[in-house]
Amino acid sequence: MNETPILKAENLHFSYDNGDSHSLNGLSLEIFRGRKIAFMGANGSGKSTFFLCCNGIHKPKQGTLYYCGKPYDYSRKGLLELRSKVGIIFQDPDSQLFSASVYQEISFGILNLGVDLETAQKEVEQVIEHLEITPFRHKPTHALSGGQKKQVSIADILVMHPEIIILDEPAAALDPKHTIMVNNIVNQLTQDGITVLMSTHDVNYALEWADEIVLLHNGQVLMQGSPLEVFMNKPVLEQTNLAQPAVLSLFESLCKKGILDSSLPLPRNLDMLENYIENMS
Amino acid sequence: MLTIDKLCYYSRLRYVNAMEKFTYTVLTLVFCVASRSLLMAVLVLAVNGILTVKKGGIPFSQYWHYLMIPLAFLIISTLAVIVNISHTPLNAFAFPVGSYYLTGSYASLHRGVQMILTALSSVSCLYFLSFNTPMTDILSVLKKLHCPDLLAELMLLIYRYIFLLLEISSAISISQDSRLGNRNFRTSLKSFGAMASVLLIRAMAKSGALYDSMEARCYDGRLKVLDEQYPPKSREIIWIILFESLLLIYTVIKTLILTG
Repeated sequence: MNETPILKAENLHFSYDNGDSHSLNGLSLEIFRGRKIAFMGANGSGKSTFFLCCNGIHKPKQGTLYYCGKPYDYSRKGLLELRSKVGIIFQDPDSQLFSASVYQEISFGILNLGVDLETAQKEVEQVIEHLEITPFRHKPTHALSGGQKKQVSIADILVMHPEIIILDEPAAALDPKHTIMVNNIVNQLTQDGITVLMSTHDVNYALEWADEIVLLHNGQVLMQGSPLEVFMNKPVLEQTNLAQPAVLSLFESLCKKGILDSSLPLPRNLDMLENYIENMS
Repeated sequence: MLTIDKLCYYSRLRYVNAMEKFTYTVLTLVFCVASRSLLMAVLVLAVNGILTVKKGGIPFSQYWHYLMIPLAFLIISTLAVIVNISHTPLNAFAFPVGSYYLTGSYASLHRGVQMILTALSSVSCLYFLSFNTPMTDILSVLKKLHCPDLLAELMLLIYRYIFLLLEISSAISISQDSRLGNRNFRTSLKSFGAMASVLLIRAMAKSGALYDSMEARCYDGRLKVLDEQYPPKSREIIWIILFESLLLIYTVIKTLILTG
């Protein structure tokens, strides 16, 4: 591929306590524009730390990050420019929502980009409508449900029109209804051509959604590849405390029993598998 | 959600322009305190009661409950003004206690009632504002009045953090209760101390995470946010001008009579 990666990490090292233990331990990877990347790995594998490095919140102790081929500029101006392009949605919305009202909260990011009030108002209204926040737009942020807080935290970033959106476990602590809602929002983002980096423990969702999976282990990339490549590699899954997606396990089991033809392409979701079973007769 | 916070978000006067409500509250409060008149205190109490309960839709029982909170304190503190210990009985009442009297004059009784009613009507002004205006709207009024940014931003963050810390302390308290952490006074004290120290640590961690998230959205040291606009209505402004003019005229006449 001759295309310049939108984001490139080269041998990143980062430690929270300046000690020997590293949260990132020589992490290197390349991410291309418009891709949907799922970051997976056990707790403490370095996913959140890497995301904070991507946004410039953490500066790696060693190694270099590149945005569109240019190394990160950690000057105030450089960071502001970077953060207008790389948005991050934190795992815990309560760590993100600082304002007492939904409307104020969403307007914060776009006003920091230096746009005029009229444009900011227009953009905020648009994102409120787009993410279906209207029914609770007048509520104070502390009175929102977990799902609503997550919607607002996504709107916070979306209103800034970043080129990369990083979602740190967006479905954490959400009920199934809100998980589906957040997943739909993420799907919309990718349809709009935004590069989406998402950490998740949901192997079934990652298999269906992602273009690429990055498996992290001890602050390093253990494996990077297509979802099928990664999820068919049982030893690396075991190493990162992940299970194989149910649809692949079922497909393998049906093939072993001779019910399905093992030459069929691997299914990425239940609908595909259902089609195989339907077409048997 | 705190009750006062909940009330103002469900009040029917919530979407009335915040500057109107703020101006009404401050002027009425000033006239109440300046005139110290029984009549004005009763009038203001009645008007604020009607505005908050009838117009705002705040349940009367709740309004009454909140109004009664300062009453006990007021009565106790006013007793010192009304009741005297004296050898000679005064004109209003006198209870003999040995060779002394617990006694009071009509003038001191009048002054006591006047103090209680003035204080209650002043409190009702503040209740009118806080029961019908969300904190964010009050902060936007303060900004318009050129209150220093630092102060307004601090108030905003403190307000947000009250709820976060309440949530955390409630979760910790439930967890302590479920493990008999409040079995007796001793364990309760111990549990409370543990909760306070954990809250401090959590508050520090939360503030660090919040700062990171603000930095991630290009925070440059100033909290720039949009305020929702509820335009003032001329009808409401006319009513406020009429009412405040009435209070002003009454205050001026009363002052002139007293000084004349």
